[in-house]
Amino acid sequence: MACVDIHCDSITKRFGVTEVVAPFSVTLAAGQTTALVGPSGCGKSTILRIIAGLDTPDSGTVTLGADPPKTVARRGALAMAFQDPSLLPWRSVRANIALGAELARKPTGDVDALIDLVGLNGFADHRPGELSGGMRQRAAIARSLISAPKVLLLDEPFGAVDAMTRRRLNEDLPPLWRSRGATVVLVTHSVQEAVLLSDRVLVLSPRPARLMADIPIELVGARNNSLVETAEFATLSRTVFAALEEGV
Amino acid sequence: MTTLRRVLWVCAALVVWECVLRMLPDSLLISRPLAIAGYVSNNAALLARATLETSVNAAWGFVWGNLAAVVLGTIMTVFPSSERTLSALSLLVFCVPLIASGPILRVLFGPGVGPQITLAALAVYYTTLLALLVGLRAVSQSWTDLMRIYDRGPVSTLIRVRARASLPYLFVGLQISAPAAFLGAMIGEFTGAERGLGVLTLRAMRGLDSDATWALALLSALIAVTAYGLIDWLGQRMVGYRPVILLSAPAASTRRSTGMRLIEMGCTTALVLLLWQVSMDAFDLNRFFAKRPGDVWAFITDAENRNTLLSALAETLSFAAPGYLAGLALGAGLAALLVLSPALSRATMPVAVALRAVPIITTAPLLVLAFGRGLIGTTVVVAVMIFFPTFVACQQGLRQMPGQIVDLFRSYDAGRWHLLRAAQIPAMLPAFFASARMAVPAALLAVTTVEWLATGKGVGVLMAMTASTSNYNMLWSCVAILAAVAVAVYAAVAALERAVLRVYASEQLS
Repeated sequence: MACVDIHCDSITKRFGVTEVVAPFSVTLAAGQTTALVGPSGCGKSTILRIIAGLDTPDSGTVTLGADPPKTVARRGALAMAFQDPSLLPWRSVRANIALGAELARKPTGDVDALIDLVGLNGFADHRPGELSGGMRQRAAIARSLISAPKVLLLDEPFGAVDAMTRRRLNEDLPPLWRSRGATVVLVTHSVQEAVLLSDRVLVLSPRPARLMADIPIELVGARNNSLVETAEFATLSRTVFAALEEGV
Repeated sequence: MTTLRRVLWVCAALVVWECVLRMLPDSLLISRPLAIAGYVSNNAALLARATLETSVNAAWGFVWGNLAAVVLGTIMTVFPSSERTLSALSLLVFCVPLIASGPILRVLFGPGVGPQITLAALAVYYTTLLALLVGLRAVSQSWTDLMRIYDRGPVSTLIRVRARASLPYLFVGLQISAPAAFLGAMIGEFTGAERGLGVLTLRAMRGLDSDATWALALLSALIAVTAYGLIDWLGQRMVGYRPVILLSAPAASTRRSTGMRLIEMGCTTALVLLLWQVSMDAFDLNRFFAKRPGDVWAFITDAENRNTLLSALAETLSFAAPGYLAGLALGAGLAALLVLSPALSRATMPVAVALRAVPIITTAPLLVLAFGRGLIGTTVVVAVMIFFPTFVACQQGLRQMPGQIVDLFRSYDAGRWHLLRAAQIPAMLPAFFASARMAVPAALLAVTTVEWLATGKGVGVLMAMTASTSNYNMLWSCVAILAAVAVAVYAAVAALERAVLRVYASEQLS
């Protein structure tokens, strides 16, 4: 399957009397990584869930390529990593990661390479109950990657991961999903992470979520942690912060 | 509007029931609503007196049983070292089928309400104790750490933290125990009381009076469900939410060697025998009816007695096993199927919870009337007794599945069967096994009660006969062997449960 773009057309969402997403329209280019940033509770995760087809918008439409999310999911081309690792407690780390391929109706592929990538060597046969919060989260990230999805949705996936591993994952994961041509949407609280990992940062307003700023991230050179030290990176981070503060 | 609609549905069901039976005049087993109403109005005074008698006995049993549970729970929390012994003793007493304790209590207490109240208390204390223990432990580590930082001991932690935290759980225990107390009181009446709904039920069944049997079964169910609802309402007013209690994991014994376990088992058995002997001697109970362990041992070592007892036991178990397995399979199977249809599951849950509250054994005479006194009738009673608690526990177990895991499967557009097979059924297993374990004494209670009341087979009838022929050695031997079988099967199911939990919910064993 070729790369797919994500097209949100005037989507809105309300939970009871609370309006969570105001009319929200955006097109995310195929193969790009886009970060959604905004204050807590602004509706970022809801937008991600609507893109995943888990929530239905009250109005408006979401298409992935030319298809609705369900159709893409049925092809096994969509995967999501949640805030909570949501591992099955009775399966080993290896079996939990393989579940991603199983659910996507795809061959399991090289689970061990992914275990290695997320730094869980030696824990493949452990059950989630025997792992730390950060290790569980890394297993969940690996599960989302095993099916080589064309649309990858990451809902604050590095929240529980320790600083050192986070730095390493920030360097190792993007090349992987870029090489596979995945269109990635990343919800994060970290401005630095948003700038480092993505091609574009969308800044959302406090609830109901509206698009406040659309900031392209054009950084020269390989995306690695040393970029954080550059003046260019600092300028982009300041721009995102300024947009966030404007919303508040 | 909803209440009105419910009333209309009930009325419509009654009209259909009446009409169908009028078209089937030969139906002797199922009474018409008007015939049942006629029986109630013709015998209103008698029914009122019997209801009052049974309810008062059940209420006293409820108070004493729950008080015992609170005291035991408190001791186990404050003195954790006492927990293993007290749990084993409580479990043993819980495993003795009430219908077996009944005749013994009758000879110990003589005529009067003593056995009914004691049986009601015995019927409630264990479920409340389990719920309370879950509640007393349901405090976060940070709360207990806070108490330890200020060097507060277990008593202070109990008063300031655990007591309040356990209140919602205590209410769930009390709620489940209200119908159980009613059941205990009625079984006490089956074993030789003079007044009460149990006595009327026995009389109606022996006279093949189906109108009376139906009226009494419905009345008992109504009272039990009302008590259940009242305590639920009270709990909601006082606490505000209902916790789900279903995972009373068996004591984790994975780190103990087999030898250590055998030594513990031997010590517990010795303690039980000692308590039995000492309590009989302390009250100077007449040896003619209050048999000591030595008397029972001498009796069962006689080959003829042993053969009689073992053949009756084999009969009882051959009747209990199919019902036990059928009840578990139907309860879990239906819960799993209903999860495929969430709307139907939501609609059936309150009905199932209400039906769980019905003291099923009081409807045993009806089931025996309908399905006969043989294997099928007994299997149905045992299966029905086990079906509702298993069904409710499995449905609640299925609901424990975190929403995010359901979302994960949905995000891949995985089918409902896939979700059921790969995630929901494995997640339901702990609840299923907890239910299967608690169903062991329930199955033995159901089968022995049916034998006592109707079928004329097995250990139940042996007890009924020996109680009337004053063969107290046989009676005590029946009780001892039933308790031993119940504990052994309970332990076997608990071992299987531990093996399953190790894989599917290892955190419950820590």
